[in-house]
Amino acid sequence: MKLTISLINLSVVFFYLIILSDESSPSPPSDSFLGIPPQGTSACPGGKFFCKNVGHSPLLYSSRVNDGICDCCDGSDEYDGKVKCPNTCNKAGKVAIESLKRKIEVYQEGVALRKQEIEQAKRAIVRDKAELSALEKEREAVGKLVSQLTELVRKLEQEHQEKNEDEKIEAQNEKVENEKSGPEENADSQIEPMKTSEVEKQWQSNDSPSDQNEKDGDESSEGLSREELGQLVASRWTGKMTGVQVKEIDQAKNDQENGGRDAGYKESEADNASHQSWLNKIQETAQNFLNLFSAPVANLDANQIRKEYDDYTAKLSDIDSRISSLTGKFKHDFGKENEFYLFYDRCFELEQDKYVYKVCPFKDAKQKGGYSETLLGNWVEFGNSYRLMLFTDGDVCWNGPDRHLKVKLRCGLKTELTGMDEPSRCEYAALMYTPILCLDEKLEEFKQKLESMNQVQEQGLNHDEL
Amino acid sequence: MKRIAFFFLLFLASQTVHSWKKDEFRACDQTPFCKRARFRKPGSCTLIATDVSISDGDLTAKLVPKAQQDHDQDPIKPLTLSVSVYQDGILRLKIDEDPSLDPPKKRFQVPDVILPEFESKKLWLQSASTEKLDGNIAGLSSVVYLSDGYEAVLRHDPFEVYVREKAGNRRVVSLNSHGLFDFEQLRVKKEDEDWEERFRGHTDTRPYGPQSISFDVSFYESDFVYGIPEHASSFALKPTRGPGVEESEPYRLFNLDVFEYVHDSPFGIYGSIPFMVSHGKSGKSSGFFWLNAAEMQIDVLAKGWDAEDGILMPIDQNRIDTFWMTEAGIVDTFFFIGPGPKDVVKQYMSVTGLPAMPQLFSTAYHQCRWNYRDEEDVENVDSKFDEHDIPYDVLWLDIEHTDGKRYFTWDKLLFPHPEEMQRKLAAKGRHMVTIVDPHIKRDDSFDLHKDASQRGYYVKDATGKDFDGWCWPGSSSYPDVLNPEIRSWWSEKFSYKNYVGSTPSLYIWNDMNEPSVFNGPEVTMPRDVLHLGGVEHRELHNAYGYYFHMATADGLVKRGDGKDRPFVLSRAFFAGSQRYGAVWTGDNSADWDHLRVSVPMILSLGLTGMSFSGADVGGFFGNPEPELLVRWYQLGAYYPFFRGHAHHDTKRREPWLFGERNTALMRDAIRIRYTLLPYFYTLFREANVTGVPVVRPLWMEFPSDEAAFSNDEAFMVGNSLLVQGIYETRAKHASVYLPGKESWYDLRTGTAYKGGKTHKLEVSEESIPAFQRAGTIVPRKDRFRRSSTQMMHDPFTLVIALNTFQEAEGELYLDDGKSFDFKQGAYIHRRFVFSNGHLTSSNVASSPLGNSKFSSDCIIERIIILGYTPGAKTALVEPGNHKAEIELGPLGFGGQHGGGAAVTIRKPGVRVAEDWKIKIL
Repeated sequence: MKLTISLINLSVVFFYLIILSDESSPSPPSDSFLGIPPQGTSACPGGKFFCKNVGHSPLLYSSRVNDGICDCCDGSDEYDGKVKCPNTCNKAGKVAIESLKRKIEVYQEGVALRKQEIEQAKRAIVRDKAELSALEKEREAVGKLVSQLTELVRKLEQEHQEKNEDEKIEAQNEKVENEKSGPEENADSQIEPMKTSEVEKQWQSNDSPSDQNEKDGDESSEGLSREELGQLVASRWTGKMTGVQVKEIDQAKNDQENGGRDAGYKESEADNASHQSWLNKIQETAQNFLNLFSAPVANLDANQIRKEYDDYTAKLSDIDSRISSLTGKFKHDFGKENEFYLFYDRCFELEQDKYVYKVCPFKDAKQKGGYSETLLGNWVEFGNSYRLMLFTDGDVCWNGPDRHLKVKLRCGLKTELTGMDEPSRCEYAALMYTPILCLDEKLEEFKQKLESMNQVQEQGLNHDEL
Repeated sequence: MKRIAFFFLLFLASQTVHSWKKDEFRACDQTPFCKRARFRKPGSCTLIATDVSISDGDLTAKLVPKAQQDHDQDPIKPLTLSVSVYQDGILRLKIDEDPSLDPPKKRFQVPDVILPEFESKKLWLQSASTEKLDGNIAGLSSVVYLSDGYEAVLRHDPFEVYVREKAGNRRVVSLNSHGLFDFEQLRVKKEDEDWEERFRGHTDTRPYGPQSISFDVSFYESDFVYGIPEHASSFALKPTRGPGVEESEPYRLFNLDVFEYVHDSPFGIYGSIPFMVSHGKSGKSSGFFWLNAAEMQIDVLAKGWDAEDGILMPIDQNRIDTFWMTEAGIVDTFFFIGPGPKDVVKQYMSVTGLPAMPQLFSTAYHQCRWNYRDEEDVENVDSKFDEHDIPYDVLWLDIEHTDGKRYFTWDKLLFPHPEEMQRKLAAKGRHMVTIVDPHIKRDDSFDLHKDASQRGYYVKDATGKDFDGWCWPGSSSYPDVLNPEIRSWWSEKFSYKNYVGSTPSLYIWNDMNEPSVFNGPEVTMPRDVLHLGGVEHRELHNAYGYYFHMATADGLVKRGDGKDRPFVLSRAFFAGSQRYGAVWTGDNSADWDHLRVSVPMILSLGLTGMSFSGADVGGFFGNPEPELLVRWYQLGAYYPFFRGHAHHDTKRREPWLFGERNTALMRDAIRIRYTLLPYFYTLFREANVTGVPVVRPLWMEFPSDEAAFSNDEAFMVGNSLLVQGIYETRAKHASVYLPGKESWYDLRTGTAYKGGKTHKLEVSEESIPAFQRAGTIVPRKDRFRRSSTQMMHDPFTLVIALNTFQEAEGELYLDDGKSFDFKQGAYIHRRFVFSNGHLTSSNVASSPLGNSKFSSDCIIERIIILGYTPGAKTALVEPGNHKAEIELGPLGFGGQHGGGAAVTIRKPGVRVAEDWKIKIL
């Protein structure tokens, strides 16, 4: 669909092209109606102009031709003579080449770093997978052990029952108490729920027009100092909360947070290196207990058994949580070559203005300032072919959207967060450099571009000498 | 459960945030003067005119009560009345307390609104004739000449003033015909009286007690009344009282910063112009203006409201009665006889002044947001316009650019290099606007505050201390801009030296000048606050923003040594604000209703002088869906003032953020404005010379077309274009009424439509209905540029729409776009006439007064003729007798598809500044 018309104007020795974009008329108007020179620019929407621009990039909107502003580095866009444009192509070309060269250097090093990163990621995956399978074995063993211990404990208790009535009663009491204390930890369910109807009433009374208006006025503003009233009215436009409003919202927010978001991220860190010996030890212990089973109950050390029981039940739950965390981890998408695998346990911080931003890929992003912490978003996914990290559903914005964050990824030699921005209120955008984005294909592309730029530059120089 | 409670709380909170707080503003029945006045019965005025005589060229009289008063009442002192007559059919009626009778206080007369030269247009009355009306026992009247064919009449008992056409003795405008006139005279407080008024915790001490004025005004040969902005409501004013009218407030004129105003309400918002225009089937218009800056309430009375009052009115004339009430001031009123709508507007402008000639750049597209955050943001937005090849002329900075809301300062972190930033924009021919509000932060380390407080330049509270109110910066005070000395001081603050970081490409935005006071009654200044000479704020409230706007505009003139036209956008306004710059309709909302109401609001502003006005494109509050935003750009491109703006809680909405398709649609809309800039600029000049607004109601161009009288969906841009917005989502069709007898040509396709008919048209997303009227010629510039600055030397296209006689005419005005040299005649003004197959260009400019001349080397590159029978092949151009080709070419309007085909003369090679003739062979 692209129509290309080229004209050559020998007297000024340059050429340009008018490219009609796909949007233009389905039946292209004849060139004569484009208002093309002798003394004009394209009047076609979407028209493009090629600077001769020896030594530098050429494409330009036709709206820039003969507008009194030098756009092409060779000044070829200003050919009506109203302004004189110095030829800066050589300089601009050199600058462009230099900057491209620097880019290539970064990429060359970056590509190598990226490979290392992928290697490391691969190793980490192997290690994690090994850990997971070890954990599964361990779980089996410990699970067995725990069920045996449970049996032993049961036996012991039977023994005690027969032996001593008093002790039996005591033991029962203890059990009852344990059961009782369990649910109590869940404090939330014990708190009286807020009565919606009362809240409603409160707000309605503030909102309803007062009947005896001249005398009474409105209670919500009447009780306020002049300063508070000013702030309250200002807050309608700014969305900045006044003291009164902050209190209300904070209260509500705390309530919400007690509801248990964020609970999932606490992990028990298992020590990878000592796994093998642990397993051996468990097996040993299990053997010991097997031996114990054959012994008469009377010979057993009841206290020790109970302790072992407690220890191994705890151990079992640790293992379970570690397994679930690893399985959870493997569910994530770490990129085509799992190149982002090592990001999983990493957080990146940035200090900017009065805040510290903490971005934890696959988890969440936060803004800390003073004593307060704001959730900018929870991890969602990569976007834009792994060039973007997306976090959404952050803390609610007063009078605005829920906070969210987009982190753009760029090639760099160090993995670091470099800029945090809030283009619209509560919509955050950050930039992060990392070698992972230093792709081989891009490097090749830049190299080719450099080559062609060098060629043009040389031609230009030769031309200038003529 | 907790969570539900939390969300519920949030929901309620946001509900209360997002609604007009009606009960925070005074309704009429909470406003004692308004409540009392509305209870008055017709005929209750007992004043009669005595001592009627001619003195100093005026017809003067005393107004005294006819009947003996009750002894327990205060004696009513005689009021003075004077009727003056001015050129062009203007009657001025003044009624005040008699200063020789020692009133407790001189009542306030609004200074510096009436043009000084207006007094020189006064006709010195020599004599009055006396006539006796038949059928009326006491019916003595004094009659004076008003203008050819018109007389002013003062009936003595009961007193009534009216204007009539001599022929047929037909009335035009009258005052006190229903005997509702009331004038509360200032008096000494009695011991048992309580003059204080309380409203929502605020106390108004009212030290001078009641002093309100009310009266009825009738318009004859009238079917509708219009004007009295600013209200978000229909253009033709709906009745507020009388048969068939539900409980309604009167139209309120009280400048207020209303948070999220609603789209259909007689409630007062940011500005006030107490000027009403009437129009009727006869095709005639008349007008009435009350120069008074106190709170005003105006009832439009439904027919039959006076059925039982037994007052005889002429019954053969269609009439609309209105009732005007104000809290303070005097009667200083102007009757305008018309008879055409444009005549009324001209007559009003001869009192209050013509609209300023704007800077060319300011008639192009403006990009604003609360807030462009920092220099990087500015640079980024600027470059994105270029990247997407969308033209724009001005980038705006809202309050956050300042150092802690101290105006004339910059936030050092966000804007460390303001001059460099402006220079970068200026290099592309672009401009910047920063905000300067009237509230000054009370901070001893802030020089402006120190200076103002040391000089005693702030308005004073009722106890005489500097008034301390709350606004953006927190505790703030307000300069007393009623005082000319203080205005002069304020204007000096805009010099490059005083406004550090400003450059010649920087212009100004005055916001919050109602004035907005967050902790004041009704979010404004208490009425007992004191101005120059002990004038109470209640007396001048509606003009505060006007004086502030004036001082700022003067500041920009001074800054440029009187050589550069100022550009100042103001939110508050009063009669006369048209002399100082542009206004916009304030904090509207991103919904379809607000898009719709922007048209009647802009029409009302234009009709009352504020030709340079617009609404925030996209809607200030809330996030417009892309379709609404696109429709808003398509309509906004035809507003006189065209600016996109948004609240800081909204998502970014620059035109390239909604996908390629929407970007293209918004680009097209903005480009339409740039294409039509030569036409708009010519219209701004027309407004500057005649007062006829850029955007007009249909009936201003078609005064006898009844179907157009209450149409406020569509509007005229100049006399040539008719535009109608699309005000609903996913519209497939639109009903468009095209007035008059001649045809209309679709701007994009060139298709002709018959006039005097409502057409059901198909609607696409690409454009809104827009037509060129047959018989007109519209100048365009079709080359797209980064900004209007680069279009200076670009060639013109003329679009000729022929009427049934194969005739058309149009004008083009050109000057340097920025200086005052045009006042010395440095401009080009051409008239193009097409008839008998000839197009001629002739000069209509008066010869230059001085040496300054404006020349242009611009040529005309294309002439498009609509309604011409194709067939002609060539045209002959004189002088020079060279030939130009004629062929069928695209209309080239409105971007993407280039439009239909039309007969086109290619490259006639004529200069726009010269006389020439083109004959079609």
